[in-house]
Amino acid sequence: MPRIPDSRFPVLRTALLPVLLLMAALLAPADARAHRVNIFAWPDGDRIVVECGFSRSSPVRNGLVTVYDAADGRELLQGRTDDQGRFAFAVPDAVRQGHGLRIAIDAGEGHANDWIMEASEISGTAAPATGSGQADARPAAARTGAVPAPPGTHPGAREQPVTAPEVRAIVAEALNTGLAPLRRELAALSAPGPDVRDIVGGLGWIMGLAGIACYALARRREGR
Amino acid sequence: MHIAEGVLSPAVLGAGALLGAAGVAWGLRRMDGGRIMEVGILSAAFFVGSLIHVPIGVTSAHLLLTGLLGVLLGWAAVPAILAALLLQGLLFQYGGLTTLGVNTFTMGSSAVLAWYAWRGIRRIWPGRTGQKVAAFCGGALGVAIAALLTALALAFTDEGFLTAAKILLAAHLPVMAAEGFITMVTVGFIARVRPEMLATGTSAPRPGKEE
Repeated sequence: MPRIPDSRFPVLRTALLPVLLLMAALLAPADARAHRVNIFAWPDGDRIVVECGFSRSSPVRNGLVTVYDAADGRELLQGRTDDQGRFAFAVPDAVRQGHGLRIAIDAGEGHANDWIMEASEISGTAAPATGSGQADARPAAARTGAVPAPPGTHPGAREQPVTAPEVRAIVAEALNTGLAPLRRELAALSAPGPDVRDIVGGLGWIMGLAGIACYALARRREGR
Repeated sequence: MHIAEGVLSPAVLGAGALLGAAGVAWGLRRMDGGRIMEVGILSAAFFVGSLIHVPIGVTSAHLLLTGLLGVLLGWAAVPAILAALLLQGLLFQYGGLTTLGVNTFTMGSSAVLAWYAWRGIRRIWPGRTGQKVAAFCGGALGVAIAALLTALALAFTDEGFLTAAKILLAAHLPVMAAEGFITMVTVGFIARVRPEMLATGTSAPRPGKEE
């Protein structure tokens, strides 16, 4: 190979690399959520479901999930994700004391992330407890707030009137079942992957930095 | 292969930051002022490379392009990688700010070692075929060394070096092949249209050009 002198000019004459790069950038959004481990959790009745994945199509299998008490940092429980990247656990007692949860995933090879869940998010179990400051809010309500069923609606349907706490429990359960997929969607949305804006923005930043470096260099050469 | 926040101990983070900073400083010293735009463009390639997924079934691995950056830039690949990692951390939440030093060290070192491998093979095997082999080895080695160094950084976690190294190397075998090929094709193309860009691969770089 003949010896060729180094290029001393900052002008890039070939369009090769920018073209390759543009192709790469155009290909990128197809699988844009590649390599960060995502974790999100949502309440589903009296359980909390955690889902972990590198992207929607590649769940974290057998990843170590650790649940901490967000208030005092105590480790509450541990578990492993299944083939769908999911792990479910019963709402811990700490939540009934109004403590939030910090759920951490360790997917190995340096991939880790966590998700904070406030006690108020975990409705049905936590809300009455935090409202009255009593752990046994429901029995208390049952004792004081027993309301007879509205007269005339179900004549003679039941001997015992449906009590307010019972209604509350039924409604809460129905809401939980109905809202679980919605909560999952919301939780998934809060961990977005990079979109085209991020990619183009990053490319702009890099070119800007290179431009600043060229400018600084030119100034220094001029000053000499 | 971005190590996330909260995985490594402060000692490992500190050591990584020191080594990374030293590599960046040395890379800036060795950088030819006339090649700044090339450094920027390859930094951009590294930045988007991590979004391109190589399908391998169980784990998820993406392109690294450390070998390509090393072969084309030499030591100047280290600052290029730092800039790209910083932006990946800020915009994509890949890696993180506290692990920036460690990640710069693992990725930067693999680029530099790939460069030495490419240069060494070119010296002992000149000609077209030698260039192809050297470029392929540079690209593949960049990935392999990055996997080994990442495993080394994880050696002090409860995962341990051997487990991490095995998993990472196995997961990145297809990536190694892909990047060897990409580097080979890119170098072949550049050798045809703009051979002076590869000149630093065979001639000694001029250190301290800007004082």
